[in-house]
Amino acid sequence: MAKNLSGDLSVASANRLVDGVVVFLDDAGQWTTRFELAAVARDKRAGEILLERARAEAFDVIDPFLVAVIEDDDGRFEPISLREKIRVSGLTFDAIAADAVRYA
Amino acid sequence: MPLFSETGSTTILEPLPFADWQQRPAWPAVSLANTDPVEDLAPHVGRLRLIVLSFPKFSDGRAYSQARLLRGRLGYTGELRATGGVLQDQLPFMLRCGFDSFESDQKGFGEALAKTRTLFSVVYQPAEDDRATASLLRLSRRNVHPAV
Amino acid sequence: MPDTHFYQPKHFYQYDDYDRALVGERVEQFRDQVRRRIAGELTEEQFKPLRLTNGLYLQLHAYMLRIAIPYGTLSSRQLRKLADISRKYDRGYGHFTTRQNLQLNWIKLQDAPDALAALADVDMHAIQTSGNCIRNVTADHYAGAAVDEIEDPRIWCEIVRQWSTLHPEFSFLPRKFKIAITGSPNDRAAVRVHDIGLRLWANEAGEVGFEVIVGGGLGRTPMIGKTLREFLPRDELLAYLEATLRVYNRYGRRDNLYKARIKILVHEIGAEKMREEVEAEYAAIKDGALKLPAETIEAIARQFAPPPLPHRPAVVAEVEGLKLEDRDFALWLKSNVAPHRMAGYRIVTASLKPAGAPPGDASAVQMEGVADIADAYSQGEIRVSHEQNLVLPHVAVEDLPAVWRALGRLGFAEANVGKITDIIACPGLDYCALANARSIPVAQRISNHFAELARQHDIGDLKIKISGCINACGHHHVGHIGILGVDKNGVELYQLSLGGDVDFGKTAIGAILGPAVTADKVVEAVDALVHTYLDARSDGERFVDTYRRIGAQPFKERVYAAV
Ligand code: SF4
Repeated sequence: MAKNLSGDLSVASANRLVDGVVVFLDDAGQWTTRFELAAVARDKRAGEILLERARAEAFDVIDPFLVAVIEDDDGRFEPISLREKIRVSGLTFDAIAADAVRYA
Repeated sequence: MPLFSETGSTTILEPLPFADWQQRPAWPAVSLANTDPVEDLAPHVGRLRLIVLSFPKFSDGRAYSQARLLRGRLGYTGELRATGGVLQDQLPFMLRCGFDSFESDQKGFGEALAKTRTLFSVVYQPAEDDRATASLLRLSRRNVHPAV
Repeated sequence: MPDTHFYQPKHFYQYDDYDRALVGERVEQFRDQVRRRIAGELTEEQFKPLRLTNGLYLQLHAYMLRIAIPYGTLSSRQLRKLADISRKYDRGYGHFTTRQNLQLNWIKLQDAPDALAALADVDMHAIQTSGNCIRNVTADHYAGAAVDEIEDPRIWCEIVRQWSTLHPEFSFLPRKFKIAITGSPNDRAAVRVHDIGLRLWANEAGEVGFEVIVGGGLGRTPMIGKTLREFLPRDELLAYLEATLRVYNRYGRRDNLYKARIKILVHEIGAEKMREEVEAEYAAIKDGALKLPAETIEAIARQFAPPPLPHRPAVVAEVEGLKLEDRDFALWLKSNVAPHRMAGYRIVTASLKPAGAPPGDASAVQMEGVADIADAYSQGEIRVSHEQNLVLPHVAVEDLPAVWRALGRLGFAEANVGKITDIIACPGLDYCALANARSIPVAQRISNHFAELARQHDIGDLKIKISGCINACGHHHVGHIGILGVDKNGVELYQLSLGGDVDFGKTAIGAILGPAVTADKVVEAVDALVHTYLDARSDGERFVDTYRRIGAQPFKERVYAAV
C-alpha cells in the first residue's frame, strides 16, 4: 500500500440495497448519495469508529467499507484510488444514449 | 438444531461419525463428512436407517453428489438427513437429490419445506425423486398425438 | 392476445408450455427471494448466490443483470424486447459480452423480478448466468448457416441447456462452469478454452459424435483443454457430462477460489487420471435415464431445421457495380460478409465497434434497428458473436447493398470485422467491481487511432483483446495482442502479450512481452507493434504469423523504445 501522506482521512461508503446506488454515511448517521455530505474521519481511530457506525446502520446497504480520501487546499475531499473516484463521479467515458443511432 | 421432514417423522437414532461407525458398522446410523467415500457404505445400506450428510457451508455442494449416489447407485432407502448450512432456498435441490430430513435453524424453514414441491411444476433432468422430466412428458405426449 | 410470434415460423428452438412454466416459476421464486432480502429475512451472504444464479451482480454503481442468449440466437421479437427492457429498467443501452450474454448495467434490485418477468414473456431468462453452476452454453455464431458445418451445434446446446437448468446436484459447484459447442472444423466457439468444449465431427464410418475437451480456460491460470474422449456417441452426451460434473463436484478444490476451476483438478491429478475417473462414473450411468432417445434428439433437431430460403441469384450486377464505385462497401464485403451454405446468400456481421465506441454496446434504438433489418432481410433472426458483434445469418446477396446502408444508418456498418479496431473489451473499472483498470477507454483510444479503414485492411487480421483484470472476461490471453489491466499502487498499468489465438488447432496462450506500460502509452505501444509487423511481414502473413516466425524480440525492442 502506498503511504497515505495526508493523514488517514476516510469516509464510509456502501451500495444501497434496493438499487445498488453508491452511498456515503453522513454526520447524522444517514446514508446519502452525495459524496460532499459524507462524514470524514480524520485519523485511523476515527476511521474505525466511523466504520463501526456504518456497520450498525447497514440494514439498507451492502457491505460498508472505508474509502481513503485526500483534502485539497479549499477543504474539498476526493477519494485517492481511481476505483473510488469512479464510484463517486461515474463512468469516465460517455455511454451511448438510449435513443442514439450512433456513438459520437 | 431443529429437525424437519415433510412427513414429520424422523428417527431418533444417534448417528456415529464415519470413522467411529467403521469400528461398529452394525450401528444403523452414520454421519459423513462431505469428503468421506459414500461407496464404502455399499455393503451396509440395507441395514442403515439414518445417514447424515453435511454442508459445512451452504455453498459447498459436495453432499448433493453423495446423496444421489446413496439413493440412485447404492439403493439406500432409509432417512437421508442434511445438516450444516441448510437454508430453505436449497430445498428444491435437496429434495430432488433424495434428502428427506433437514436440520436448520433458519426462521420459517418448516413453512418453506411444506411449500417447496409447489415451486416448480417442471423438471428437466432425472434425479432421485422419480419425477418425470419434461423430455419424457414430451415423448409420451408425442406418442399420444404422433402428429405433434 | 394476438402475437405475431406464433405466426412467424422460427428456425430455432421454441419454448413449449413446460419451458415457459419453469422459467415463469423461477421468476416467482426469485421475486419471493428479493422480497425476503429487502425485508431483512435473508442476509447478503445468503442472498448473493441466489441473485447471482438469476444473473444479478452488484457492480460499482448499480446492479448488473446478465441475460442469457442461449447459443447466441435471437429472434427479432426477442431483440426488440431486450431494447424495451433496457429502456424501462435501465438506461436504454446494453453490452453484448464474449459469452453471448447481454448485460444491463443500471438495474435496481427492486425492479429485477419485473425485468425477469418481461424477459420470460419472450422465452428468455437470466438463469445461471452467474454463480458456481453451469453457465449459459455458447456456440458458433454462424451455426446453421456456415459452409463448413457438420451439424448444427445449437441442437446440443439446447439439450445441454435443459439438462443443466436448475440441476439439483450441480448448483453449488466449486466454481463456475462453462461449456461451448462447435459443429465446424473451423472452431468459432473457442472450445479449447472452456471447462468443457465439445466439437462435433464425423468419424471414418460417417457417424457424427463429440470430441470432449475438458479443463481449458482463461483467467488466472490459462490452460488449453485436454481431450478426454476422441469420439463420444451423440446420444450419450448427457451421461458423459453428468459423469464429468460429478467428478468435478466431488473432487474439485474448494479451499482456494483461484484453484477451484476444473482445469486445476485436471492439471493436478493429470488428464489420464481424470479420464479414468470420468469414464468409471460414465460407465455406471451411461445406459440409464440420461441416454437420449432418438425421438428426443430428432424433435429438437427439427426445430433447428434451416429456414427454407428461396432461390436468389448468386451474382448480382448491382452488388458488383457498387463494389467498384464505393470503396467502403467493397471493404465491408471483404471483412464483414462471410460465405453461407446456400448459394445466393451471405452471413453478415454488424460491427458493434464503430470508431471510438465502447465495444459491444448498443442503444435501445440500435437494437430495434437491427431487429428491423433482420425482419426485412434475415428471416427475423440475429446472432450474438463471442466477439461482441451481432450477426445476420441469412442475407441474400441481392440485399447486401440495402443491408449495408441500413446498418450504416445505425453506425454498425464499420468494415472492421477481424481487424485491429474490432476490439474485444470487458467492462473494466468503469463498471466492474473486480477490475484493476479500465478497459473501455483504452479500446476507444486504440480504435480512434486506427480508425482509417484502408489502413486497417492493410494491417489485416489482428485481434486485440482487453481485460480489466486477471479474470480475463476480455479473453486477453488469446488475443493476437492481449492487453491486461493491472493496478500498481493505485495507478493503472497495462501488460501486453502477443501470440494468443483461438483458431482451431492453433489455440495458443499469448506470451507476456515485458514490463507493463502506463495508460497513456498503450496506443504508442500498439502502434509500435503494428509497425514492427508491417516492416517484417512477408506476403500474406498475418500479424500473428509474423510474430510466430520472428519471435518477440523485434516487437519488444520497438515497443520499449517507443514508450
Ligand atoms: S476481466 Fe475483470 S475487470 Fe473485466 S469484466 Fe471481467 S472481472 Fe471485470
